[in-house]
Amino acid sequence: MKEQLNTLQNNGLDELAAAITEEALQEVKVKYLGKKGALTALMKGIGALPPDERPAAGNLVNAVRDLLETRLEERLAAVRSAAKADRLQRERLDVTMPGRRRPVGTRHPVTLVIDEINEIFAGLGFQVAEGPEIELDFYNFEALNFPKDHPARDMQDTFFVENSLLLRTHTSPVQIRTMLNQPPPVRIIAPGTVYRCDYDATHSPMFHQIEGLMVDKGITFGDLKGILTIFINQLFGKDIGVRLRPSFFPFTEPSAEVDIACVICRGKGCRVCKNSGWLEILGAGMVDPEVFRHVNYDPEAVTGFAFGLGIERIAMLKYGINDMRLLFENDLRFLQQF
Amino acid sequence: MKVSYNWLKELVDFDLAPEALSDLLTMLGLEVEGVERSGEGLDEVVVARVEERTQHPNADKLSLCKVNNGTEILSIVCGAQNFKAGDTVALATIGAVLPGDFRIKRSKIRGEESFGMLCSEKELGLADESAGIMVLPDGLPLGVPVFEALGLKDTVLEVSLTPNRADCLSMIGIAREVAAKLGTTVRHPAFSIEETGEPIGSRTSVTIEAPDLCPRYAARFIEGCTIAPSPAWLVNRLQSLGMRSINNVVDVTNYVLLEYGHPLHAFDFRQLAGGRIVVKRAGEGEIFTSLDGQERKLLSSDLTIRDGERAVALAGIMGGENSEIADDTTTILLESACFNPSAIRLTSKRLGLHTESSHRFERGADIGAVPTALDRAASLIAQLAGGRVAKGAIDVYPGETRPRVLSIRQSRVREILGIDLSPQQIGDLLRRLQCGVAPGEPGSLSVTVPTWRVDIEREIDLVEEVARLNGYDAIPATMPMARVISDRPTRHQRLERELKDLLVAEGFNEVINFSFAAPGDADRILLAADDPRRTGIRLLNPLVEEHSFMRTTLLPALLQTVARNAGYRTLNQRLFEVRRVYLPNSAEQPHEPLMVAGCLTGLRNPEGWNQGKEPVDFYDLKGVVETVFAQFRLPAVAYVTDRLEPFYHPGKACSIVSGTDLIGSCGELHPDLQETFGLDRPVYYFEIDFDLLVNKGSDTLSVTAPSRFPDNTRDVALLLDAAIPGIDIVRRVEGLKNDKIEEVTIFDLYTGERLEPGKKSLAVRIRYRAADRTLTDEEVNTLHQKVVAGLVSHFGASIR
Repeated sequence: MKEQLNTLQNNGLDELAAAITEEALQEVKVKYLGKKGALTALMKGIGALPPDERPAAGNLVNAVRDLLETRLEERLAAVRSAAKADRLQRERLDVTMPGRRRPVGTRHPVTLVIDEINEIFAGLGFQVAEGPEIELDFYNFEALNFPKDHPARDMQDTFFVENSLLLRTHTSPVQIRTMLNQPPPVRIIAPGTVYRCDYDATHSPMFHQIEGLMVDKGITFGDLKGILTIFINQLFGKDIGVRLRPSFFPFTEPSAEVDIACVICRGKGCRVCKNSGWLEILGAGMVDPEVFRHVNYDPEAVTGFAFGLGIERIAMLKYGINDMRLLFENDLRFLQQF
Repeated sequence: MKVSYNWLKELVDFDLAPEALSDLLTMLGLEVEGVERSGEGLDEVVVARVEERTQHPNADKLSLCKVNNGTEILSIVCGAQNFKAGDTVALATIGAVLPGDFRIKRSKIRGEESFGMLCSEKELGLADESAGIMVLPDGLPLGVPVFEALGLKDTVLEVSLTPNRADCLSMIGIAREVAAKLGTTVRHPAFSIEETGEPIGSRTSVTIEAPDLCPRYAARFIEGCTIAPSPAWLVNRLQSLGMRSINNVVDVTNYVLLEYGHPLHAFDFRQLAGGRIVVKRAGEGEIFTSLDGQERKLLSSDLTIRDGERAVALAGIMGGENSEIADDTTTILLESACFNPSAIRLTSKRLGLHTESSHRFERGADIGAVPTALDRAASLIAQLAGGRVAKGAIDVYPGETRPRVLSIRQSRVREILGIDLSPQQIGDLLRRLQCGVAPGEPGSLSVTVPTWRVDIEREIDLVEEVARLNGYDAIPATMPMARVISDRPTRHQRLERELKDLLVAEGFNEVINFSFAAPGDADRILLAADDPRRTGIRLLNPLVEEHSFMRTTLLPALLQTVARNAGYRTLNQRLFEVRRVYLPNSAEQPHEPLMVAGCLTGLRNPEGWNQGKEPVDFYDLKGVVETVFAQFRLPAVAYVTDRLEPFYHPGKACSIVSGTDLIGSCGELHPDLQETFGLDRPVYYFEIDFDLLVNKGSDTLSVTAPSRFPDNTRDVALLLDAAIPGIDIVRRVEGLKNDKIEEVTIFDLYTGERLEPGKKSLAVRIRYRAADRTLTDEEVNTLHQKVVAGLVSHFGASIR
């Protein structure tokens, strides 16, 4: 019987080692360890032995059973793990193939710039104000100290509309509307659409501006410089050079053009800045006392500053656009880059 | 305005290169927009003499020349006829590059070699047109660059002046600014007049009948003049500043205009009827022929200079053809006057006649310069045209004005500029501008403004001058102390931004079209004859016909954008626009409501190996619109088929209503529009009135805690009349307001051959759940049966 067991153990181990699928291992299990298996048959044969040999024989059979069971578990684990590894291998994808995409939306560059500027000025305590685009002469010119028949009106080519209305040529009328509506102090910005009859690579008959106005006791030209410098540094970067030079607008005095160091050539001189190293980006100044008179503010009691800048100009500089018309052609190949 | 660097050097001392001078002027508020160097790169164009000129053997119109450049004799072939042997000419030698990048090479012309080219004024950029080559004055040194020999080597600055600075429209004006900044003085031209003629009063007279439009009129009388070409120095000076030489007398008036900025006019005295001048308004409808040969119809508001009978000049704008200087003119009446700026501007604008003279008068000329400019010109005419100047000058000055005296407070300078300047410093700065400065009230100065500074009228103007001359750079940047509490953006502003973000998240690209509309836009989108959107606001001076109205709807421009993009083969498009439209109304100003509109066309997804290939349809569009309304929390929005816009496919579109208000619409556009705009596939469109969306939406929100118990769903397929709106089934179930019904979803719709005609099958899933316990199957079954029975009886449906 000992020999029989030995043979059975050896055969069992060999067969387990040879089985490479879970199914084959199960067959081996049935063959040796099942209810009708070889070991069970041997166990039944123990009853025929003399009683004093039975315990030793039982131990021997159990030892073989333990060995085969342990080996079976090991083999099962190994086969399963190999099968999983094989499956993972087979399931490999080409991860370089493009993913499943949805249409991607974009905001218009003019909106992007307006939102960005609004955000900067919100941080400086400025509130957004609005006004109509089809305006009265009073708000667009007269209250802003553009006398009738004055050459200053030639600075802005105006679209006229029936019923002595006009398309506002700048966002400055919002200054007047705001001041007529509330007593000082005032701290607003007014983004909006404006119109001038002009059309080429750097002029569009419709474009966008942002107006700023701050009126209070003790506001000075130095404060104007301070606010504009902070604004420009937040929009174009901390180290960008800023300069103010004298200019003329009927509704501010003193007036200034504000230049920044050319963002293209960093001040060295290039085509964009016409070799000057500077880019004109906004007009500004101290609110003219005549404007205060039109809105019933006392120019001896309060002072203030105002500024205005063109959104398209900023967008063109920020995104390297050289033809303003691109902004209104709405070519999706252009817009989808934003 | 053009400024000659060489000329400026004669008027004021400065030690600045053209670039540094440009910076100085720019930082004074006189912006230099360009710097042009005449003769730059033309050193290889030299003075030469034609030693010999013979006929070209093989060409009738060409000649062979032997030309001496000072060191050698060169053979040159030339096509011009206006010169002879012995003439001094401008020779472009081999290697010279003429304006327009024209490089001179050794060449063979009809078999004869040519070692250079004889140049015309045009080829050297000195004139717009030339009849032949440039023949130079004799005696110039051979071999020297032509521009140097002629004294034309100069740098010209293009200064862009703001309209307030009339005082800088002259060389002396610019010199005054340079002198003020550098703390030096202007060197005024020195001249004297020999009055050898009879007293002027015995020869002519001046009467001003419109003193409101002409505060001053001065004249001189010069006889025995000879009209001739101007000397080279004068021609060159005018040319370098962009003016054409005419003759010695006219050139002098233009020269003094450039020098002093004061416009003058010279009359041929023999043409002045009665030998006198009357300054008077024109007769209404009077016809006047100006120097340029144009007939002009005048109004009684136009000011004219007249003789005893008729108008001889349009005051301050242009002289008349009837009295202009002719070749045989000998006696001249020279005018130096001052006119009312807005009258000049009105006439000049109406007639479309903008001249050097009107440009200056409408900005305000220096009334104090009237006699100086007159004397300067008279002296030059006597010198160049050899005339005798009559004794004395006429100077009628009814509007005699004293220089303006203003007060400036030290405290005001501080309040406006934020810097402390002492009265001493303020006074010094203003004195440099040639203001008279005296002590005024305590803490202020009394300032006499020079007559040429017509723009300085108020204290604030003086403050600006102080800031300007002291330098904006000298004012430190500070931060304002604020008493303002700023509110958050308004609801309107916030929601506009949120709406754009939402549509962007839905894959839409924002576009911005012009606010203009074309006259045929309403027809192209099939608007009814009585549609109020047919009445747009009309521009009186549109740039082009297609932009002659303000738009009343966003649709036409959006469709054009879709078509343009389709033309570029961008076929899958999702566009939106949030912009105003402009509607006339009875108020003083039109209504400008904000509209939201969008277009969808092409495939639902970007193309790709694993993407769906389905085209978008009505329900893609509607999903977007529903998302918008959900975001803005409009509870009771209904999609109905009445009041339908005419531009939609009648079966694939709806109106969107909230209560009784029409707040928008959406649908597939009518095939006619597709055709009109040249589109080859359906376009889906939506528009929403943003103001209504904001007003009807709600900011308040109250939420409930979700149940922690399991759900239980039941499906039912209902066979219904096809005409019953699908949403009614959902509404009906929701309308039960049973707190155990959590959700109702239509999960399938079937219409087709397997159903009898006129029927459809809707599959509905109802999800049941209680807030406080697990529902039993029996409870759910009972409830579900009741719900289904209700639907069956209400809609006359059956269960499939």
